[in-house]
Amino acid sequence: MAVTQAVLPSRRTRWRAESTTASVTLAALGAGGLLLVAIAVLVLPAVRGATPVASLVRTLRSGTMSGVLVAGVAVGAIAGIAGWIGAGRMPTKLAREQAIAGAVLGLQAVIFGSILLRFVHGDVSKFATNFLDFHAMGAHLGDFANGAKNTLFLALGGEGIGIVLGMTLAVFASSRRVVVRAPARAYVNFFRATPLIWQLSFIYFGLSIGFGVNLSAYVTAIATFGLNTGAYAAEIFRAGIQSIERGQLEAARGLGMSYLQALRYAVIPQAVRRVIPPLMNEFVILIKDTSLVIILGLTFKQYELFTAGRSLFSITFNPSYFVATAIGYLVVTLPLIRLVTAVEHRLRSGLVGVVGRVDVMGER
Amino acid sequence: MTEERGAIIRLEGLHKWFGRLHVLKGIDLAVAEREVVCVVGPSGSGKSTLLRCINLLEEPTSGTVWFEDRDITHVHADLNEVRTHIGIVFQQFNLFPHKTALQNVTIALEKVLRMPKDRAREIAQRELAHVGLAEKASSYPGQLSGGQQQRVAIARALAMSPRVVLFDEVTSALDPELVQEVLDVMKRLALEGMTMLVVTHEMGFAREVGDRMVFMDDGVIVEQGPPSQLLSDPTHPRTRAFMSKVL
Repeated sequence: MAVTQAVLPSRRTRWRAESTTASVTLAALGAGGLLLVAIAVLVLPAVRGATPVASLVRTLRSGTMSGVLVAGVAVGAIAGIAGWIGAGRMPTKLAREQAIAGAVLGLQAVIFGSILLRFVHGDVSKFATNFLDFHAMGAHLGDFANGAKNTLFLALGGEGIGIVLGMTLAVFASSRRVVVRAPARAYVNFFRATPLIWQLSFIYFGLSIGFGVNLSAYVTAIATFGLNTGAYAAEIFRAGIQSIERGQLEAARGLGMSYLQALRYAVIPQAVRRVIPPLMNEFVILIKDTSLVIILGLTFKQYELFTAGRSLFSITFNPSYFVATAIGYLVVTLPLIRLVTAVEHRLRSGLVGVVGRVDVMGER
Repeated sequence: MTEERGAIIRLEGLHKWFGRLHVLKGIDLAVAEREVVCVVGPSGSGKSTLLRCINLLEEPTSGTVWFEDRDITHVHADLNEVRTHIGIVFQQFNLFPHKTALQNVTIALEKVLRMPKDRAREIAQRELAHVGLAEKASSYPGQLSGGQQQRVAIARALAMSPRVVLFDEVTSALDPELVQEVLDVMKRLALEGMTMLVVTHEMGFAREVGDRMVFMDDGVIVEQGPPSQLLSDPTHPRTRAFMSKVL
């Protein structure tokens, strides 16, 4: 009697067994269409020279560009329609997924290809001069690198102050005494309910006029970002502290720890691990909010990404610098967002060995 | 009844209200040195609240808790200091999940009793060995079974060298096959002369190990006496009704 082998088939085996010529062709067609569009918009300008603007415009307007785009749209359309029709008739689930993938990729090729076709037949010259002047951007690469450095510095400084302040406020806000809790709540609500741009200007000008305290714009900015982030971090920490089971506090108190000791050694270490993802999210938001320092007077060396782009624009009237600013923010924030995801993943998989249960069981 | 002299814990006229809910309705109870007192009764009868009032995790609404000769319900009582002498073990273990078994035991030795690290470590190793978990010192709670976690929790309480240990339904959250290992540890403790106040549903344990059994119902102590007598020949009809259900 034949016994079914209880062996997990490898991906490759399954792929061979379950895909059909038709389904693979459909998937390849869809991917090919999208690839053609990508080649047109990314590879062609790179090969033929994206600078100076005149060269870029020539490439965008060339027959090759239009031809590749039209080909991409056509291939995509075929994949889309054939995949749409074919998906329901595929013999296996894997083959059906491949046909659907081909149809979706094809649809994307049609959408992006059409938009780009429309674009290269518009006033390319004007657009490229205004937004795609890579030569001008490259000439000020150093300014943007310096801007990115300042952006990160402002954000890190603000976050540092904010985390310390936020943890203190969170401990106050979790107190059972209303007289301790209320001021912390008031602070948090005030800083969450007023715009950051108002806080910046009020602290800068208000301190100077009202108290005769003259801080530099840069110091004011870091302090204000800290005060503001502190309010949001306080809410995050408070939620984290309150999410820890009551038994943890009781166990610590039962051993003779004071309330603050119990928080410090039992509750907060667990709470902090739980709130790392929302805290990092706050940090990413703060990075972009640092652009508000533009309302204060900074010296040239202190320019952060947005101020740098804005000042170059006001000198040259070339909006390409705003595009460079956006690229700068992407370069700074995207790796951080990836890091957030990775940390979250680690926390959830329990590899840190601390969040709730550890899934990896040791030998008993 | 226990003689008043030599009582480690003495409760006088203890009342506890949760809002409009009257949970403890005048409890008088004394626990003598080296005595093992088992508290039994239906759920909601106030057993756990009673236990938690003894180390003031719950504050009694009125009445007095005496620890040795100190009134620890007094406003000037140093509760943190008192709690180092009264160990407590919980139904849900409540181990610190971010610390290893060893660190769970050393943390209070270091931070509360201000012991040097190596001395705390030495004591913790000894107590873990005492509950049969010497080789699990570096495991995290999440890597231990329920029974092992509860034994670590017992070691954590014992490491403080308490005068009395409170056990709050410590086997109720365990899978049936893990109950015995925890009861065995408690039995050994009792034989070593530890003073214990045990809220439990384990009638076999109460009969075998308990010096005295206290039956609570609806916030009052209905009846108390030697476990064998309460189990086989209860005098009060409520005790009789309860025993007939659980035995």
